[in-house]
Amino acid sequence: MNLAKFKKIPTGYLFLAPFILGFLVFGLYPVVNTLALSFTDTTLMSGGGHFIWFNNFKRLFADEVFLRAVGNTWLIWILNFIPQIGIALLLSVLFTSARLKIKAVGVWRAIYYLPNLLMPAAVAALFNALFAYYGPVNQFMVRAGFLSEAMRFLESIVVTRGLVVFIQWWTWFGQTMIILMAGMTSIPLPLYEAAMVDGASVWQMFRRITLPLLKPILIFIFVTSLVGGMQMFDIPFLLTDGRGSPLSSIQTNNILMYMKFASSKGHIGAASSVGVLIFIMTSICALGIFYFLRDKDMDEIKPAQKSLFKKNTARSQS
Amino acid sequence: MKRLSLILSVLVTLSMLLAACGPAKPKELAGTLNVWSFTNEIKTMAIAFQGKHPGVKVVYTMIPMTNGEYQTKVKAAAGTADSPDVVALEAAFVKEWVESDLLADLNDLLPLTKTLKTYPAVVQVGTSDGVAKGFSYQATPGAFFFRRSIAKECLGTDDLVKVQAMVADLAKFEDTAAKIKACGTGDYYTVGTGGEMFLPFLSNRSKPWIVDDKLVIDPKIVEYVHFAKMMRDNGYESGATQWTEGWFAGMNDTLKDANGTPKKVFSYFLPTWGLPYVLSPNSTPKDGGAGTGGDWAMINGPMSYQWGGTWVGAMKSSPNSELAKEFVKFVALDEENLTNWATGVYTNAYLKAIDPTTPDDQAQAAGDFVSSQLVVEKITASFDNSTLATFLGGENSYGAFAQAAPSVNGALLTGSDDAIQRALNDPLAAYLSGTMTEAEMWAAWLDAVRNEFPDLIIPEPPVK
Repeated sequence: MNLAKFKKIPTGYLFLAPFILGFLVFGLYPVVNTLALSFTDTTLMSGGGHFIWFNNFKRLFADEVFLRAVGNTWLIWILNFIPQIGIALLLSVLFTSARLKIKAVGVWRAIYYLPNLLMPAAVAALFNALFAYYGPVNQFMVRAGFLSEAMRFLESIVVTRGLVVFIQWWTWFGQTMIILMAGMTSIPLPLYEAAMVDGASVWQMFRRITLPLLKPILIFIFVTSLVGGMQMFDIPFLLTDGRGSPLSSIQTNNILMYMKFASSKGHIGAASSVGVLIFIMTSICALGIFYFLRDKDMDEIKPAQKSLFKKNTARSQS
Repeated sequence: MKRLSLILSVLVTLSMLLAACGPAKPKELAGTLNVWSFTNEIKTMAIAFQGKHPGVKVVYTMIPMTNGEYQTKVKAAAGTADSPDVVALEAAFVKEWVESDLLADLNDLLPLTKTLKTYPAVVQVGTSDGVAKGFSYQATPGAFFFRRSIAKECLGTDDLVKVQAMVADLAKFEDTAAKIKACGTGDYYTVGTGGEMFLPFLSNRSKPWIVDDKLVIDPKIVEYVHFAKMMRDNGYESGATQWTEGWFAGMNDTLKDANGTPKKVFSYFLPTWGLPYVLSPNSTPKDGGAGTGGDWAMINGPMSYQWGGTWVGAMKSSPNSELAKEFVKFVALDEENLTNWATGVYTNAYLKAIDPTTPDDQAQAAGDFVSSQLVVEKITASFDNSTLATFLGGENSYGAFAQAAPSVNGALLTGSDDAIQRALNDPLAAYLSGTMTEAEMWAAWLDAVRNEFPDLIIPEPPVK
């Protein structure tokens, strides 16, 4: 772009400038700095460290701690995402259905969204108290005869992971539902009307009209949820001892990163290496989602368009 | 009344004398001081400090220590523009700061520890390579608190000497625990949690956690794990987690198991600060009721130990280093402040007179055990009829702590204690509840330690 062109349209660039500046300072700089730190042994207590090549990364793979954290994160995210998207899809189909015409949709929507407004710290602390050994859940279960004696819920891997999955699902399905509903209401009604005239079933309409037209929204939900899931921190951190107890079963990527950051000397170099690996992993997966959910019809159209374009230009040149 | 007026008149004369022959006032201190701590305790002294030096403004920041939050925040702020001038450091991590290069040299203040007869362990913990970098206003010997009523019912006596003889060592402690369990309808636990006994075992190690870059698994640690397992398996402890609702409930007799059967806890292992800050405030049930005040007694227990304590250091990078040093001196090495602190002089009225915005719960009740033997000796008698003495059925806890304090050993603390000890909690809980074998527990703990200290040499586990 030349200067003359810039002088013509400076207002546009001025409007863009705050974001670009903000992104450079708060977005790009931390990423680059984290990358740089991950090759050093810098600690908070001793300041500047030495360049140690890939030693931080080597150490991550020297034992199973890092891979276990990655495994935990994926497991918890997948177990929460499947019911989350499932229930959200079902509810949004029901709420937007032209046939069912459910009343007071706004009220239902608000009720399902409410858990998302709760502070994660408060929710985690609440569940920690509810499921304590001397807590109310034990009192209820034993007195109602469901359990013969009090159970150590938060020392059970299944229960603790289950609680994290449940809290994540419970606080986020309302949000997903609202985005899906927005996507569904934007699908032109005549498409459904035409389908109905042709005698399509509800399932066929969902499969052939709703899902394909919802794809951009689904990709958005998929990617944002994946990014959020890979960075899961507050609920598992606060539900037990902040180290992923019991038996490190809810120790997620970010908890491990925080543990390294908060270790006695504050190993920010080692913590950064965890951050870098999470970044790479999440990026690859997000790109993978874009690739697999891309509009496959476009792949067929594009080469055809290209050849058409070539033909045209060739013709005009000649 | 007569005595009070006598004391008052003596005080008045004394202060007049001091005012008359005191040296010319040193130059007035002024400036703003940023103080960070993990409780609101030091805030009380900060207000008192402002009362002494009206030109000084103390900005106090409290960050709780839950899950290591405070430690992380201070570490992250150190060396930046947001760094505090004065930091409070808990026993679990004070050494890592004292050994670092971040705290200012406070050797000038050492002569004061001689005059005040500061307990040697307090100075030792705050010193690294001959440089003093932190001092504490507290000394924290541990004790064993038990319920007189349960002792009478199950052990036949609540006489301090006789009960002490029954818990004098671990074997006797185990026998007594069996007696308490067999007593009555079997609804008594000896302790709230086995975890309480960690500090006594920890204080009686022969070596610190790290010697020559090598992790040391002292025999006492192995012994502790076995003892905690024995307590759990025999049902001598309530199974509650320390610092949770169930653990506190035992202090005021509102502990109920899942069936609704009331349970009672015979004893708690707590140090000096545990009495005024933990046991006494929690002895009354939240929803009303009689509570257990007056039913407690304090003895040495099976092992002498120390637990916790707050050290105060000045940051080297602070632009207000002189003021910061003055503040440390006031908090930890000022006879008047320590006396006021321990005897309940810092009431709400006192603090509000200095700073009207003081919150209502800022007052410092009498009873915290201070680090100066000089002050302790002077004020011990004043606790003969105090509220805490009433709480302990007439026993003067201060006198008992005064006997234990000089023998405390400060050499066992290292900068890595916090991380090493916190890593043990989770595997130990799994071992106690039976989801892990002992060998798995040691392996899991050593893995966690290795992950946090990549350069540390990790020994073979005690059990494989």
